[in-house]
Amino acid sequence: MKILVCIKQVPDAESRPMINQGRTWAGYAEKTTYWINRFDEHAVEEALRIREMIPGTKIDIVSIGPERVKSAIKRCIEMGADQGFHLYDDTMDYLSPSLKSQLIVDFCHNREYDLILTGVMSEDIMSGQTGPMIAARLGISSATSVMKLEVNAARRCIRVERELDSGRRCSMDLALPALAAVQSGINRPRYPSLSNVMRAKNAEITEIKCTAGLPAPGYETVERIQDIGSVRAGLRLEGTTEEKASKLWQMLHEKSLI
Amino acid sequence: MSHSIMIMCEKCGGRILPVTYELVSCAALIAGLYNSRITAVSPGLVTDADSVPGAELLVINSPGLAEYTCEGWERAALLAAEIIAPDIIIIAHTSSGYDYAPRVAALLGGCCITSVSGIEFSEGKITYRRSGFHGKLDMLYGTSNLPLVITVLPGAFSAYDHRAKPGMTRFIDTDINPVFTSNVQFSTPDQSNRELEQAEVIISAGNGIGKAENLQMIRDMASCFIRSAIAGSRVACDKGWIEYSAQVGLSGKKVSPQLYVACGISGAPQHITGMKDSKTVVSINRDPEAAISRYSDICIIEELERFIPEFIRVAKTYRSHRNE
Repeated sequence: MKILVCIKQVPDAESRPMINQGRTWAGYAEKTTYWINRFDEHAVEEALRIREMIPGTKIDIVSIGPERVKSAIKRCIEMGADQGFHLYDDTMDYLSPSLKSQLIVDFCHNREYDLILTGVMSEDIMSGQTGPMIAARLGISSATSVMKLEVNAARRCIRVERELDSGRRCSMDLALPALAAVQSGINRPRYPSLSNVMRAKNAEITEIKCTAGLPAPGYETVERIQDIGSVRAGLRLEGTTEEKASKLWQMLHEKSLI
Repeated sequence: MSHSIMIMCEKCGGRILPVTYELVSCAALIAGLYNSRITAVSPGLVTDADSVPGAELLVINSPGLAEYTCEGWERAALLAAEIIAPDIIIIAHTSSGYDYAPRVAALLGGCCITSVSGIEFSEGKITYRRSGFHGKLDMLYGTSNLPLVITVLPGAFSAYDHRAKPGMTRFIDTDINPVFTSNVQFSTPDQSNRELEQAEVIISAGNGIGKAENLQMIRDMASCFIRSAIAGSRVACDKGWIEYSAQVGLSGKKVSPQLYVACGISGAPQHITGMKDSKTVVSINRDPEAAISRYSDICIIEELERFIPEFIRVAKTYRSHRNE
């Protein structure tokens, strides 16, 4: 089996986005911590589990972004992935999933992956489009919100269980090659073993420059970024911890909630 | 050429689900600007009323479209798009909607904007609003590259007037049978949680509680209230802190208690969908920028491990005063 895992590096959830001057995008302070998108980490773990079941499986990692993305790819190699590919792009602006999926499809050309895994969405932008778009452009099937995945190598298919709305589930066989966008409940990602950490030290991440080849715009654009309008009052209690606790108790008591 | 909007009906077991009427409202807003024709597309036959108020109905009839498959719905949407030639395709942001919508956009050479929560108009242009940056900022998207596929968050628009006149219904008989997908089975694991469903006060834990041991503090806080229950965000359930039967959000339960206390929950749109109808919302979070603040009546910006024990102490003190 040859597996590709598409990952994204995202800023720490508690970091503060700063809207740029044109109000069309937001950046982060220089000291911001970045990590692997949580959902993608589950995708890497699932690939490792498949390799444990099917020895000889090769796991490639691909990610689009600036130089810092290499650390996320390296982390995947520390977890146990075989090879990393960095599609270098330092656009500090909105990158359409249409474009990203096309870049990954171009990367897949002649590499003949049996299975492509990715997270169901990114933690920061949450559009959840890149995976299904890659599959559609490659002409293969896909499933999102995957909570279980089993490979049937003899029948060249995977059996996936998707999470539906209000607790329902749906299982199906998908012919390989296929793409699965996994939901976070599918597994518990492992910590890198010492031997893999040592191995990753010498691992080379192949860089592929893609900025020059970016197609002309014609995709959707972000016209404006703005603060979220408050839906509720958002009264912020001030004072010491004790004063806040007391104030909250009184407010809830007035509403007969406590 | 006239402007055309296509809606994909949200279906389950052959029935059109109410979220479809919210899509009609969204379409009607856009139609107001372009004088568009609105067509609702039903993959597979419709068992109840063969109509959608405020829209024409196009039924793509094929034995392979009895239940949702990504492949089947995609092909039905592409066939309908050939007939309707839509400028905009509107799909519900549900487990099926986000599964096939981006594929349809890619195959039509168009764009896709997912989890849209609103539409804004300025200078004759439409922008589509959705939240991003961990739910901390609103992003307004625009495009001139058509067709545009959007997925709309359930509950973002109110349902279209059910008394409105439906347009005519057309049937297309075709033969769409999934080629890559087989052995499709639906199941409903028992996720009932009476305590949560009946609770008037819900204390909900998120990633911010940090570790399993801190769950006791959430339980202790819940016991300060009568008819209370504990719940959690998706992350809290994934980490094994909270049972999935107590997960609040798009893929879990929708709750509307008298009081919802969000502890260490950042407020991703998927979570907000599950609790936004609560009567009073209190959030306790150390991140002052967390999106949950925007959906809270009262915000406490504090470390949970400091604030919650203090609140429990205060509650006990008041209770013992009253008992004296």
